[in-house]
Amino acid sequence: MLSLIPLLVPMEGGGGEEHSAWPPGVHSFASRPLWPGVLPDWVNNHALQAVIAAALVIGFWLWMARGQQVVPSKKQFLGEQLYNLLRNTIARDILGHDYRKFLPYLVALFSFIFVNNLFGQFFLFMFPTFSKIGYAYGLALLTFILYNAAGISKYGFGNYLKRMTLPAGVPWPLWFLIIPLEFISNFIARPITLALRLFANLFAGHLVIMVFVVGGGMLLESGVLFYMIAGGASIIFSFAIFALELLVGALQAYIFTVLTAQYVSSAIAEEH
Amino acid sequence: MAARVPTAMGEHGGTDQGLRIISILISGLLLYGGVGWVLDRWLQTSWWLPIGLIVGVIAGIYLVIMKFGRSE
Repeated sequence: MLSLIPLLVPMEGGGGEEHSAWPPGVHSFASRPLWPGVLPDWVNNHALQAVIAAALVIGFWLWMARGQQVVPSKKQFLGEQLYNLLRNTIARDILGHDYRKFLPYLVALFSFIFVNNLFGQFFLFMFPTFSKIGYAYGLALLTFILYNAAGISKYGFGNYLKRMTLPAGVPWPLWFLIIPLEFISNFIARPITLALRLFANLFAGHLVIMVFVVGGGMLLESGVLFYMIAGGASIIFSFAIFALELLVGALQAYIFTVLTAQYVSSAIAEEH
Repeated sequence: MAARVPTAMGEHGGTDQGLRIISILISGLLLYGGVGWVLDRWLQTSWWLPIGLIVGVIAGIYLVIMKFGRSE
């Protein structure tokens, strides 16, 4: 991804001011190393942002879990409501009776994606972490490992592979046709589409926001009255886009979690 | 299909099933179309690709019917 950026944006020198370069494009998503020369280059602002999000999520749930009482305080009530929402609507509905094992991962996954998506509208960061595709691939890889490990530990490796690649009732002459297809759909298409769905939604949303805000700002500063009116309108409308992005961010966190639960459920399902 | 109880799954099951069906149909096309394309390149012919595409569509539809068509 990063090596493509100079190809895609030949007019940019690739300097430090990439974020303000117009028009916004893939180059606007480039990361800046935090401390070049001292820390390795992969310690960049977006990695830091993901770590901050993880710390926030851990801190939030630890704080919510502290000092639990039989009669809940307001804080505990809030925490329990959030937890119950995830437990009842995602984990228990989809995974059935053995949902408890997977609940910590699902709650952590949802909170982490949600916080990272909120960063796209949060003034300190103004960048949704998962609009960098590497982060989305990382999460999809975790989910991939989880649902395969759950299936393998339940059925054993060979048996699990057979269940995942061969639906019941297929006559043997068609096996050579069906097995590669099922393999691709279960082990390759699923994690990749999971990652791409999250990435593409946030990437496109952030791009639209940049067009409205940065473009509006440039029009406002242009000094031509008509352009300045258009720029003001663009900035006002950007708040509607921000609201839409809040919705999209929450929805994508939810969908990612739901699909993770679905994949686990189909890997450990009793009978197809 | 006994594990996919529609009442307990609600709309989530529908989302996942729809996505899976689409992904199966598309991967059938891509996989066998791709095999046909490779054969064409390799054998310097031009009729493996359409055959591969048709086989891919058939395999995809067949797989969807086998996996999702019997739940009633």
